[in-house]
Order: sequence, then structure tokens, then C-alpha cells
Amino acid sequence: MSIFRRKRSAEDFAAEIQSHLDLEADDLKDEGLSEDEARWKARREFGNVRAAQERFYIRGRWVWMERLLRDVRFGLRSLRQSPGFTTAAVLTVALGVGANTAVFSVMNAVLLKSLPVADPDRVVYLRTSNPPHGTGTIDSHETFSYSVYDALRQHSQGLAPLIAYAPLSNSKVAVRYGAQPEEAEGDMVSGAFFSGLGVNLPHGRGFNEQDEANHSPIAVISYNYWTRRFARDPDVLGKTLYVNGVGMTIVGVAAAGFEGVEAGGSTDFWIPLQSRPELNAWGNAPEDGKTYITNSTWWCLRLIGRLAPGVTRAQAIGQLQSTFQSAAYMGLGSPTAGEKAPVLSFADAKNFPGYEEQYGNPLRILMAMVGLVLMIALANVVMLLMARNATRQREFSVRQALGAGRGELLRQLLTESLMLVTAGGTLAWGFAMIAAKLLGSWAQIESSLAPDKTVMLFTMGVLVFAGLLFGLAPMRVALAGRAELALKTSAAASNADAGKSRAARAIVALQIALCVVLLVGGGLLIRTLRNLQNTPLGMRLDGLVVFGVKPNTASVPEGVVFYQNLMNKLRVLPGVESVTVMEERIGTGWSNNGDMRVDGRLPVVANGASRWVRSNVVGPEFFSTLGVPILSGRDFADSDTASSPHVGIINEQFAKRFLPGVNPLGHSIGTEDGRYTMRIVGVVKDHKYRSIDEEPIPMAWYMYVQIPVIGEMHVEMRVHGEPLAILPSAQKVVQQLDPNLPLIKPMTQRAQYDQTISGQILFARLAGFFGFLAIVLVATGLYGTLSYRVNMRTAEIGLRMAMGARRGQVVWMILKGSLVLTAAGVVMGIPLAMLVGRALTSSLYGVAPLDAASYLIAVSGVAVVALAASAVPARRAASVDPLTALRTE
Amino acid sequence: MATQENNDDRIALLQGTLDLLILKSLVLGPVHGQGIARSIQRESEDVFFVDHGSLYVALQRLEDKKWIRAKWGVSENNRKARFYALTPKGREQLVEKTGEWRRLTRAMSLILDSGNGPQGEEA
Repeated sequence: MSIFRRKRSAEDFAAEIQSHLDLEADDLKDEGLSEDEARWKARREFGNVRAAQERFYIRGRWVWMERLLRDVRFGLRSLRQSPGFTTAAVLTVALGVGANTAVFSVMNAVLLKSLPVADPDRVVYLRTSNPPHGTGTIDSHETFSYSVYDALRQHSQGLAPLIAYAPLSNSKVAVRYGAQPEEAEGDMVSGAFFSGLGVNLPHGRGFNEQDEANHSPIAVISYNYWTRRFARDPDVLGKTLYVNGVGMTIVGVAAAGFEGVEAGGSTDFWIPLQSRPELNAWGNAPEDGKTYITNSTWWCLRLIGRLAPGVTRAQAIGQLQSTFQSAAYMGLGSPTAGEKAPVLSFADAKNFPGYEEQYGNPLRILMAMVGLVLMIALANVVMLLMARNATRQREFSVRQALGAGRGELLRQLLTESLMLVTAGGTLAWGFAMIAAKLLGSWAQIESSLAPDKTVMLFTMGVLVFAGLLFGLAPMRVALAGRAELALKTSAAASNADAGKSRAARAIVALQIALCVVLLVGGGLLIRTLRNLQNTPLGMRLDGLVVFGVKPNTASVPEGVVFYQNLMNKLRVLPGVESVTVMEERIGTGWSNNGDMRVDGRLPVVANGASRWVRSNVVGPEFFSTLGVPILSGRDFADSDTASSPHVGIINEQFAKRFLPGVNPLGHSIGTEDGRYTMRIVGVVKDHKYRSIDEEPIPMAWYMYVQIPVIGEMHVEMRVHGEPLAILPSAQKVVQQLDPNLPLIKPMTQRAQYDQTISGQILFARLAGFFGFLAIVLVATGLYGTLSYRVNMRTAEIGLRMAMGARRGQVVWMILKGSLVLTAAGVVMGIPLAMLVGRALTSSLYGVAPLDAASYLIAVSGVAVVALAASAVPARRAASVDPLTALRTE
Repeated sequence: MATQENNDDRIALLQGTLDLLILKSLVLGPVHGQGIARSIQRESEDVFFVDHGSLYVALQRLEDKKWIRAKWGVSENNRKARFYALTPKGREQLVEKTGEWRRLTRAMSLILDSGNGPQGEEA
């Protein structure tokens, strides 16, 4: 029937008509007509020959089109006849598919999508099994020292090129264009960055080896930043962008859509690798005057390589391994005895580093949850369709009796389902676009999560599956009635079989099972969220406000003066109670970690416990500002200076683990390398440092004036009234000291801590939402099925009541049906929910995977919804008037 | 019988009928299109007149459904003609459709012949 299957040519058909005319003329001649008369009559009887040929032609070429149009018209008409059904089905499809598309597009962007570069299959991240002892790292597997980069670059024929990059700050960096200081995300990158990744520059130029070697003061800005900050002004090329006060000439704009290689970030600008102390990697202050280039024990650069043509990964690694292993110990001397040598490996540039660990599991669980929601939604629509088609059985039977083939009916059903799915899918896509955007902003992912081609294919796949399911599943019911059914006149009789559909009952039970799973999962996560939000932090958060400052100071004493000035000026602002500073901002998930000496040596810990200590460098009145109770001794004070005896403060855990049974005051602690030693002057109560969900761990604090590390610091202020209201006057104070300095990421300390559980908050909210969605869908499905069944049984119920059944008995009969279904669903659902609970274990906090309350709530929730959904149909059944019911026969 | 109106429902009805008539006229063996038209006309005692254009479209449709198959051959009076024959599937359809049609006509006549129609008034 399709144009591809047509076997006959139009010529063949014309020949057949000619033969018909000849045969007819012969017959007419036999009947006594003259030759001419016979020909004329044959032609007249045939009618319009040309029209017949045209119809043949149209039949061959366009018949499928015509039929499709007819089916669509018919489908529209029949869907319009039941607007309630159509709306319910379309909305259900839209919600189910939309939720899946949204979660999948986030998962795709975060976990599956390749880096936005040319030929990403040939691009790899470099990884190390472990860093050598005695190094400091950003990430123990993903970052390398500059000397390793330099050595690998000189010996890498397998990687052409090798690219290094590092951000200029672990948050945002101070920039100035014109007069106003502001913050932006910036990376410094090696010369081959743009050319090696294959990123185009539609305006201006990228970087080259020369720019890297000379540390050229130039910058390329992202298309986004160009749009947002410069309104796509083409004259921006050649202008100066001040980065931490250093002027950079803008030389290019990167291709639209390229947001850099920082996980979840949207990089605003790139500059070549720099050597100036104010542009150190990660915004860190130079250690002993050494930047990332000269400090070979600081592993802070990420490395990306592009495999040279014809080189396999194994070949490239084999060729680089020995170079890597010797370069790793540059500046460290020889490996310590028994130390495991670091091993180089490659990882796919499939997604951003670190995202798999952070978001992998939650996203996969969410995907599974929305998958269940989709199953419930599809089952709902199938049941609606089955109910609807069962009532249409007589229509189908009549049409079959009139000569419509099964194929034609199937086509009709498929067309109708296709129309439902198309409408639902269109709505779903719009829904998903909005939802993905919301998800991104909640999860603080700045890179674009907009659905792409993969997501489109995924959604299309789901929709096609739904379309086939909707078309084929009800087919059984539709065709169950044979042509004779058309001639039966009793509504009750011809619909009775469909009313007891076992398939519908199985589907409802399955839906209830899935709903139990979703509710248990959602319940566990919401209780986790509750626990996290109610976790005591060990400090008074109200009234605390924090912001970062990165002064352009050349020496440590200069830095100390800057911060002393700043704190003094801030302290006298009206409404300010106290002010302090810290190197690591608390509540960001970041911390300084390492081993520490206690009384001159590394402490011996019993049965393999960790020696790990979290430390921070802080200012005077740190603990009184935060509201952390001091158990013994004192807080840091202005009287602790660079020349006074060095002092340190520890927490309870530190004392318990490393100085058990003694008064810790007066003992000494020090850095692992033995360069700095401090006398313990205070012990404070355990409190949270990095995040809300961290376990108590030994911690120690140094006084900032006594440690020669001064760069970006964070100012913590305790104020009366609304904390954020102090920021404008604080900004003025900072600009009096240096007009180049913006306040970096100013916010309340509470908001900062909340960010550490933003992932869990999002996760729990979504899980709760999907659980809610599931229970709404199950309720509507159950209600629909039951009221449909009650309608079908009106005659039977009437008969029972005529025979003396009481209302109560009828209500019980209906309710019993749904109670049995609910019980079956719950029995199936609980073991499934236990599996899900086990998968969730790592995402739970303060709640067991077998939390009885969550199960109880889920089961009773399902039961209540099931009973409520059955109550209305049951009441309707009980109010059936026996006489009316019987008269419908 | 012959109508060119493009009304969905009526075409469905007519198609069903014409299909059945075509299948019936092929029971005794292969016949060409003109022969089918003549035989329907003759067998119905000239009540049905077959629109030839519709006939060929219907033949094409049945061929597509594989209920009949066609082959070029030579007629008794030595003219080239396209002969149609029933397939086994077509034979099944013929039996099934005949049954359906019988039941439908019986039901129709039961209703039409019952006592409260126009006939009753006539009496």
C-alpha cells in the first residue's frame, strides 16, 4: 500500500482498461451492435476512463496519505467525543514523560555528555593512582604538579597536545572592566588549550605556545560572558580586563556553547598560564613565595590530552609512564621506603571530573524513580484506553461487520494513540525544558542543562514505546468482540466480559506496588533532609554574615596590615558585634587536611585509626564570633602577634584522640614537616567545619599572623538584625582600602552551610514530589478503573439488591475488591522497596534503610488513597435503584 | 449502487458489499475485470450496475490485501486480459463475509417484517 510496495505501473493499468473496453465492445457486437456503436457504448458504460486512471494513480501513490488523514480526522472526532478521557490521558503522558525527560537531560548533561570539544573520543583526562608522599593536592587522583606537566609535555609524542589548566580561584575571581569591581569565573590554561580541544574562536584569536611561554597578559572571553557582560559588543577586542588587578587585553571570544572544562561551572574567561604571585592557581597565596610553577610539591593542575593520530591509549601511557614516575618526585628527593609509586592512567573525557562521585548515584536513583512514575502513568493510560475501548466494542463490531479488516481497526487504534502521545509528548517537552532549568538552578550547576539531541532521541523512544503500547494493549479488548456482538442488543450482556478484566486488576496491583516503592524512597529521603536540617552545627548561625576578599599585597606583613586594618574598620560599623577572618571559608565543603605533630612527633594511633586532622588558619575572636563554646583555655586574640609565642587551638576530638587523659593546654602541636610549632592555648567544643553532614573529626586552628600564608581570606561578622544589611557599608570599607576589590560571594553563614546539603535538599524534594505524583496517578487510575467496573456491573448490582442485598453489603463488595488489590500491591511492593532502600543507603543521614515509620506511612498512605478512590464508586453502586438498573436491560 | 460521493461511512459500506460480490464472482475460477462486471450485473438480474472505475480500484485493493491475485492471459475471443483468481485467504474471507452478511440481512428483515412497520398500516 505504501509507495514503496507498489508493483503495478500506471501503463499496466491503462492496458487493463483498454482490454476491458475491447472485451466489452466484443460482447456488445455479439449482442448485435455495429462496431462503432459498440465501441462508443463500451466507453460510455465504463464512465470516465481518465478519472479511473487518476484514481488508480492516487491509490498507488497517495492512498496511505489519504488514509492517514482520514484516520486522523476520525481519531480527532472520537477523542473530542470524550474530552475527559482525552485530557486525563494527555496530562498523564505529559507528566510521566516530562519528568523522565527532565531528569534524563540533567543526567545526560552531567554524566553522559562528552566535553564540548571536537572529536571527544580522542580526548582523555590524565589520572594518577596516588600522589607521592609529601605533596599537597587539590584532588589526590586528578591533579598534577607543574613539573610533571612540564616533563610530560616534553616527552609526549603520544599526546598531541597535552593541556594543563587551573582555575584562578576555587570560587570566583575579582575582575574589573571600567570602574566597577565585580567577580567572574576564570581559568588559566596552557597555550594549546583552544587549538588542542578544537574550540573555534569566531572573533579574534586563541592562545599559542608563545603566549604560554611569555605568560602573555591576554584573555579570551566566553560567548556567554560576552553576551551577558558586554552585550556582544564587537569592539571588546583590544579592551582591558583587570584580573586581580592585573590588566589583560581581550584578544578573542570563544565559540557559542563552549563553557569551559570546569565541572558544573560556566567559565567566563581564560588567560594563558601566568607566573605572577597574584595570579596563582586556585587563588592561593604563594607558599614561601613559590607559585604553582615553582612549587613542585603542589599538585594543582588538571591535565587533558588529545591522543596523537594512530596512537592507542595503551601506547601513549606506556610511553609516558616512566617520565611521569621520575617527574613525580622532582623536588621531593627519592621515594620513602615502601612507598607505592604513582601510576599514570587515562579516563574518558566523558563528563566533568568529580561529577560521577557527587551526582552519579542520586541521579541514577532519581532516574529509576521517574522510570517507575512513567510505568504507573503508562499503565493508567492503558487502563483508561482499555475501559474506553471496551465500551466501544460494539462500535468495533459494527465496523467489522461492515467490512473493516482487523488491520484497519488496528490502524485506527494506533492513530488514536499516536495522537494522544503526540499531544502528551509536546506538552512533556515544554514541561521538561522548564524543569531542567529549575533542576540546574537548584543543584547550582551553571553549565547549560538544556535538552540536546540525545535527550530528544530518548524522549522520542519513550513516546514511540508509549504509542505502540497504547495502540496494541487495548487491541485485545477491542477485537474480543466478534461481528455477531453488534447484533446483541443488551448493553449489560455485551459489556459484561470486559468489566471483569483480569489484566486491569493486575495492572492496578502493580501500580500500588510501584507506588509503595516510591513512597518509601521519598519518605526515607525526606526524613534524611529533616535530620540534616535539624543537625546542630555547634555554633550560633543567626546573625553571621561572610564574604571573601583578595587583597593585592606583595608580602606577608603587608597582608597582615591589610586584614588588621579591615577588621578594625569593620568592628566600628554600627550594628557589628564582632569580626574575624579565616583562610578556608567554613561550610563550603573545602578544608585543609593533613597529619600533624603532637609534642614534636607524629602521634601513634591505636588500631589503625586515622591521623588526619582538619585545620584552618583564622583570626582573633574566631570562636566567640562563631559562638562556639570554649571548653578550656582561651580564644585567639589581637595580642597574639607574629613575634609573640605561636599558639594553636584544638577541638575535643583532637584532645581525645591524640592527647587522651591529659590536660591538652600547654602541649605543642605542629605541621607535619616540623616547620611550625604551636602551644595549645584552648580547647573548643566539636562543631561542623566543612559541611552539615560531616562526622566529628580532630581539628586544629592556627593564628593567621603567625603563619606566612596570606592571600584570599574570608571575613566573618556577627551583626545585630538582618545580616545581609551590613554588606553595603562593608563594601565601602573594603573599597576605601583598595578600589579594585569586590566582596567575593557574600552571603549569610546559614546560606553557606545550607549549600552543603543543597544536593540532598534537591534530591529529597524531587523524591517527595515523584512519590506524590505517583500516588495521585494511582488514585486516579484506581478511581477510573473502579467506577468503570461499577458502571459495568450496574445491572448485576440492581439484581442483587432486588434479590434483597443490603446497601452495606454492596458497598463492602466493591470495597473488598480494592482492598484485595491494595493488599496484593503492598505485598509485592515491600520487598521492592527494601531493595530500593538498600540502594539509597549512602544517601541517607540519621535514618535506617529499613526505617519502620517510612514503611508504615507509605503503606497507610497507599491504603487510604485506595479506599478513598473506591469510596465514591462504592457509594454510587449502593445508590443504584434496582428497578432502573434492571430496566437498562 | 454506483456513487462517487466521498462520504466515509457510505464508502465503507459499499466497499464491503462490492468486495463480497467480487469474491463471489471468482468462486468458479479466474475471470477478468470486464467479466466480473458483467457477471455481477447478470447474476443480480441487472439490479446492480457496477461502476467500472470503482470496480478496478476495488480489484486493486483486494489484490493488495492478497485476497485475490492477478495474471495477464488471453480471453476466449483471443484478447489480452488481466485475469483475477481467489487466493486461499480470499476464499476464507468469502465464507466469513457471507456469513456476516446473512446474519445482518436476517436481522434487517426480522425488523422490517415485524408487525409494527408501514406494512401493518397498509393492511
